[in-house]
Amino acid sequence: MEDSVLNSNSNPQSTNRQAVSFNDAKIIIGLEVHVQLDTDSKLFCGCSTRFGEAANSQTCVICTGMPGALPVINRRALELSIRTGLSLNCRIARSTKWDRKNYFYPDLPKGYQISQFDQPICGPGHLDIQTTEASGQSRRIRIERAHLEEDAGKSIHDESSRRQSSKIDLNRTGTPLLEIVTHPDIRTAAEAKAFLSELKLILNYIDVSDCNMQQGNLRCDANVNLHIPLGGEQVATPIVEIKNLNSFRAVERSITFEAQRQFEAWQENGLTIADAPKQTRGWNDQTQTTTLQREKEDSADYRYFPDPDLIAVNIEETQIELIQSQLVQLPSTLRESLVTEYNLKPDDAAVIVSQGRGVVDYFLEVADGCQDSRIANNWIGQEVLRQLNELNQTIRQYPVSPQQFTELLKLVIAGTLDQTRGKEVLNAMVEHSISSEEAIKQLGIKPVDNSELVTLCETLIDENQKVVEQIRSGNEKAIGMLIGKARKINPNANPGLVKAMLSKMITG
Amino acid sequence: MPDTPEQPIVNQVARLARIHLDEQQLKSSGEKLEQILSFVSQLEQVELPEDVIPFFGAIESVNAIRDDQLQTSVPREKILDNAPESDGEFYLVPPVFKQTDS
Repeated sequence: MEDSVLNSNSNPQSTNRQAVSFNDAKIIIGLEVHVQLDTDSKLFCGCSTRFGEAANSQTCVICTGMPGALPVINRRALELSIRTGLSLNCRIARSTKWDRKNYFYPDLPKGYQISQFDQPICGPGHLDIQTTEASGQSRRIRIERAHLEEDAGKSIHDESSRRQSSKIDLNRTGTPLLEIVTHPDIRTAAEAKAFLSELKLILNYIDVSDCNMQQGNLRCDANVNLHIPLGGEQVATPIVEIKNLNSFRAVERSITFEAQRQFEAWQENGLTIADAPKQTRGWNDQTQTTTLQREKEDSADYRYFPDPDLIAVNIEETQIELIQSQLVQLPSTLRESLVTEYNLKPDDAAVIVSQGRGVVDYFLEVADGCQDSRIANNWIGQEVLRQLNELNQTIRQYPVSPQQFTELLKLVIAGTLDQTRGKEVLNAMVEHSISSEEAIKQLGIKPVDNSELVTLCETLIDENQKVVEQIRSGNEKAIGMLIGKARKINPNANPGLVKAMLSKMITG
Repeated sequence: MPDTPEQPIVNQVARLARIHLDEQQLKSSGEKLEQILSFVSQLEQVELPEDVIPFFGAIESVNAIRDDQLQTSVPREKILDNAPESDGEFYLVPPVFKQTDS
């Protein structure tokens, strides 16, 4: 203790707080992810869920909450929720019901949102994520629940308008959302991003949602606070819910900002979770900061009660088994099989799987066809992905079929085409939508027979005596110059064969 | 007349429901609320066997489910007729201002 420092303003607790470093604090993060389920019609009525239509053109008496209107649950929304729950290792409820969550906001015409309070459709589960910090290590993030609820409408705050009013579009009202809630198991901003990436990938694979974040089909709120060691104990800072996170980058940056902000606030005022209620703060992408929105209502303030317009849904064991039996292979399973059955490195497998099921299928077909998964991975992981990116195409639009690609790789594996010529052939195949055979013809690629190769090498040796001397005196790298020249004389000469022949002729 | 124990709850609920109650109404609502709660609390005296499954509505049937099929929406002019104020495209409401840090 540094009691010798006498300062009338010193407050021992504050001094202790100043002594703690940010790096000692543990960041505690839980996520609430809203996923728009891919249905044609809304959750409780037959209005379309299509995005981008004329304002207020997709509403009816049910989704605008007219008295006497009767909501009826959408079968596909239930099935997609169960499918998601099974993919996240959740326990599926055998009986589920709907509750009213009461609050007033102009984009909520009924004055309540139909949601699920105590009997969500999906119970506890988990999702394992790969963290970038420790490659190959996985972390299990527990999922608390996932419940089905209706979306609210959209408010447009047009402050420039003379009327000084907000405009409301109710097209989105009643669109089915699955809210997936994690336990506060996430410890870093990077882990939060990894969780969301994996979740989004799974939702894509199982065809539950297109997860378009720009259109708001995947929305995320993050609950963040800190656990800070102080004098042998641990203090927790007040919990903050960050809203408006509409990109993975926003999730990552807002958590990083908020952790730092909470640490500084705590150093200054010492407020803990016991002193302050949960707050809602909004992420501002322009300023890269979070700002206070409102003190969060208590759960009790929402006065949840069972919706008397809706009856319970019982889910039969057979129905769950049926959905389970139809589940496609999940990204984690595919990554594992690419590593164990196709000998890919974990990072390479992750790249292929992250591109979606279409690229995985393409890879599998080519790898099986050419019987060399490493070469298939090198070409697809680099050339194909680069071209798709440049062409802004999906694998289904890619002009080279897996069969044609296999034929090309067989020629590369056999040594008929070297890597460079192979890539030229591929480019021609993509550009002109032609087969490898046609591309080879178009590029004038012809096999070079042995006698041609011998003549070529002899000419090179005759004309480049200085280089040959260098090679003889031990400068093996100089042979590259000769290979380059060979290529200019005859582009069809295989550099590997040229190199072997030159070495033999020069050094014996 | 002394405040009923439910008075703070009445204030809170009135605030959440966005309704204004005057002094007299607050007091009478508190009394009524107390009567209702004491009436309902009789249920707590009922002894139930442990295997009774709670139910959440008066209707015993379950699984009223519809297929995911589109139905024609109500034309915009017609649905906006119900709006207190509209510009023909949107509902117009008093401006919603965002609070910011002080």
